[in-house]
Amino acid sequence: MHHRFDLDGEINELWLSRGPAGYHLQIADGWSGSVALIEERAGHGRLVVDGKSEQVAYVVDGDVVHIHCRGRAYAVRYVDPLLALASASDEAGHNVARAPMPGVVVSVKVTLGDTVAAGAVLMVIESMKLETPIRAPQDGVIERIHVRDGESFDRDAVLATLSQGNG
Amino acid sequence: MADSSFPFDCVLIANRGEIAVRIIGTLRKLGLRSVVVYHEVDARAPAVALADQAIAISGRTPVAAYLDGEQIIAAARSAGAGALHPGYGFLSENAAFARSVEAAGIAFIGPSADAIELMGDKIRARNFVARNEFPVAPSAIEEEDPATFVERARAIGAPLLVKPSAGGGGKGMRIVRDLSGLDDAVAQARSEGQRYFGDGRLYIERFVEQPRHIEVQVLGDAFGNVVHLFERECSVQRRFQKIIEETPSPALSAQTRQKICETAAGIARAAGYRNAGTVEFIYGRGEFYFLEMNTRLQVEHPVTEMITGLDLVAEQIAVAAGRRLPFAQGDVRAHGHAIEARLYAEAPERNFSPTTGKVLALRYPQGEGVRVDSGIAQGQTITTAFDPMLAKIVVHATTRDEAIARARRAIEEFVLLGCETNAAFLARILGDQGFKAGEVHTGYLDENPGIARGGSRDTDAETRLLALAALLTRPVRDAADAVPPLHASLGSWRN
Repeated sequence: MHHRFDLDGEINELWLSRGPAGYHLQIADGWSGSVALIEERAGHGRLVVDGKSEQVAYVVDGDVVHIHCRGRAYAVRYVDPLLALASASDEAGHNVARAPMPGVVVSVKVTLGDTVAAGAVLMVIESMKLETPIRAPQDGVIERIHVRDGESFDRDAVLATLSQGNG
Repeated sequence: MADSSFPFDCVLIANRGEIAVRIIGTLRKLGLRSVVVYHEVDARAPAVALADQAIAISGRTPVAAYLDGEQIIAAARSAGAGALHPGYGFLSENAAFARSVEAAGIAFIGPSADAIELMGDKIRARNFVARNEFPVAPSAIEEEDPATFVERARAIGAPLLVKPSAGGGGKGMRIVRDLSGLDDAVAQARSEGQRYFGDGRLYIERFVEQPRHIEVQVLGDAFGNVVHLFERECSVQRRFQKIIEETPSPALSAQTRQKICETAAGIARAAGYRNAGTVEFIYGRGEFYFLEMNTRLQVEHPVTEMITGLDLVAEQIAVAAGRRLPFAQGDVRAHGHAIEARLYAEAPERNFSPTTGKVLALRYPQGEGVRVDSGIAQGQTITTAFDPMLAKIVVHATTRDEAIARARRAIEEFVLLGCETNAAFLARILGDQGFKAGEVHTGYLDENPGIARGGSRDTDAETRLLALAALLTRPVRDAADAVPPLHASLGSWRN
C-alpha cells in the first residue's frame, strides 16, 4: 500500500522503507533513492537525498508538513487513508458549498429545509474588500448552514451542506 | 539615551502591526514611554508585548476599534500620553481626529488638521498645486464650461484619458490616442457614467503612457523650514497596492531627480506643511505631474531611512515637540540604493486570494544591509480582519544590482511557516529581466501575468519535499519502521 501526499492540489503516492543504510523512498512515478533527515535543532536540519544534502526548516501541524526549502515555503498534506474513506462516505449523497477563499459572512440568504436550484445564492461573503455570492453547487435541500452572519472562515471551509432531495 | 527635553514623556500609538512595532523602537531609543491600543484579535501581536503599556479597545469589527477616535483619545488620556502617533492608514489622515487629539491637549505627531484637509480633498489639492504653478496633468473639466469642453480637451492633445467626474475604479474610463476618436469616446464615457454613477459629467486629462509612480519624502517644521529627502519609486504595484519600492528611482536622470524633489518641497512649503509627508507624482517620458499628497508616514519610508541614515519617526517626534529641523537641504545626503519588498498574506498564484493561518515558525534574514519591519510573532493567527501586509523586507547596498541580489537573498532566507505568503512572487519580480532593467510601470504586473502565476515546480524540488514530508509523517515512518529491515532477514537466511 502506498502513502498519499497532497502537494499543491496534486496527489503523490510514495512508499518509505528501511534498509541497512537507512530510509529508502519510492515515489510512484518511478524515482527511488535513499533519504535521511539530520535534525540540527528543533525544526531545522539537513535533508539528505541520494547523498546530496541541503538545509531545511519544517513544522508538522496535524497532517500538514510545512517546509522551507530552497528559499521557499511549501505545505505538504498527508492524506490519511481512514479519514479519506470516512469523508468520502460522509459526502456521499451530500453536496457542500465551500469557501473559495478566506473571508467573512456578510449575509446568509437561505434557511434550513429550503429547496434550492443549482446556482442559487446561498450566502454573500466578503473577501479582499469584495462581496462574492456563494452559490448552490447543484439542486438540493439545505441540510446544514455551518456559518453565521459576521463569522469568518478559512479557505475551503464548508459553508453549507445540501442533501440531494428526493426529486 | 533618555532625552528630557521633550514636552511629553509618553506617546500613544494609534495603530497596529509592523508600524506600531517600528514606532515603539524609536520611542525606546528616545527614552519615551510607549503605549499601544489593541483589539483583542491582536492580543498576541508583538506590538502589545513590546510596548510599555497596552490598552484594549473594542469595536463592532477589529478595524472599527482602530477607527474609534474617542476610545483612542480616552486611552491616551488614561495613560497620560502627551503625544499621539497615528502611523499610516486608520485615523492618520482624518482631520477631525487630528483636531480632537489637539483639543484634548495631546500633540498630534503629524501635520496640522488644515493641511490634512487640504490634501485630503483631491480636487482642492490639485487646484492648490496648479495655482502655485507646480505641474499637474493638463485637464479639461466639463462643469467649468460645458459648451467648450471637447474643444478644450482637444487643445490638450493626445493621448487623453476621458473619465466620468463621479467615477472611480476605472469604470467608464477611455483612452483616446487619436483625436478623431474623441467625440465617440466622450459619447461612450458619458453613457457609461450615466449608467454606472447616474451622472454623465466628464473630466478629461492628459494620459501618461506606461506611467511610473514616483513620490518624494518631505519634512517640515513649525518654523516654515521644509526639506525633501529624495524620491522613492513605487511602480511595482497591482490595483493601487504597492509591492516593491526603491530609491533612487532607476527612471530619473540627475536633473529630473533634482527637479521633481524640489517641486515636492516647493508644494509642501507653499502649503505651510509641518512634519513628514509624501508628494506623489505620475511620471512618464520625462514629464511628471502632481498626483496627490499623503499627509502621514508612508509604509515605504524605510528605504528613505536606509539611504539618508535618518530616523523619520524620530524626526516626526522632534517636529511635534516644537523643534526646528536640525539640518538644511544641503546637509541631506543619499548613499547607495535601497529596496523594500512587502510580504503579504496572499497567494499571487491563485489570483491574489488572501491566505490565513497560524505562524508556526518564524525566522528573519540576517546580515549587513538587511532590515525587517515585522508585525507578526510566532504563535500569532493571521486572519483576514486587517490589511494583509505581514512584514517589510528592506535592504541597502552600494548599487541597484547589489540591492536586488541582497533583497532576493533576504526574501529566500525569510522563514515563515503556517501561512502562505507572496514571498516566491516577490523573488520572481526581483529576478524579472524587466525589473532588473528598471523598465517597470504601474501596469507592468498586469501586462506580465506570468510573474504572478509562477512556473511549474521542478521534479527535483518535488522529490525533496515528498522525502521530507514522508520522514516527518508519523504513520509513514511507523510503517517503514514496522517492516523488519532487509538486512535482518537476509542475515538470518545466511545463518
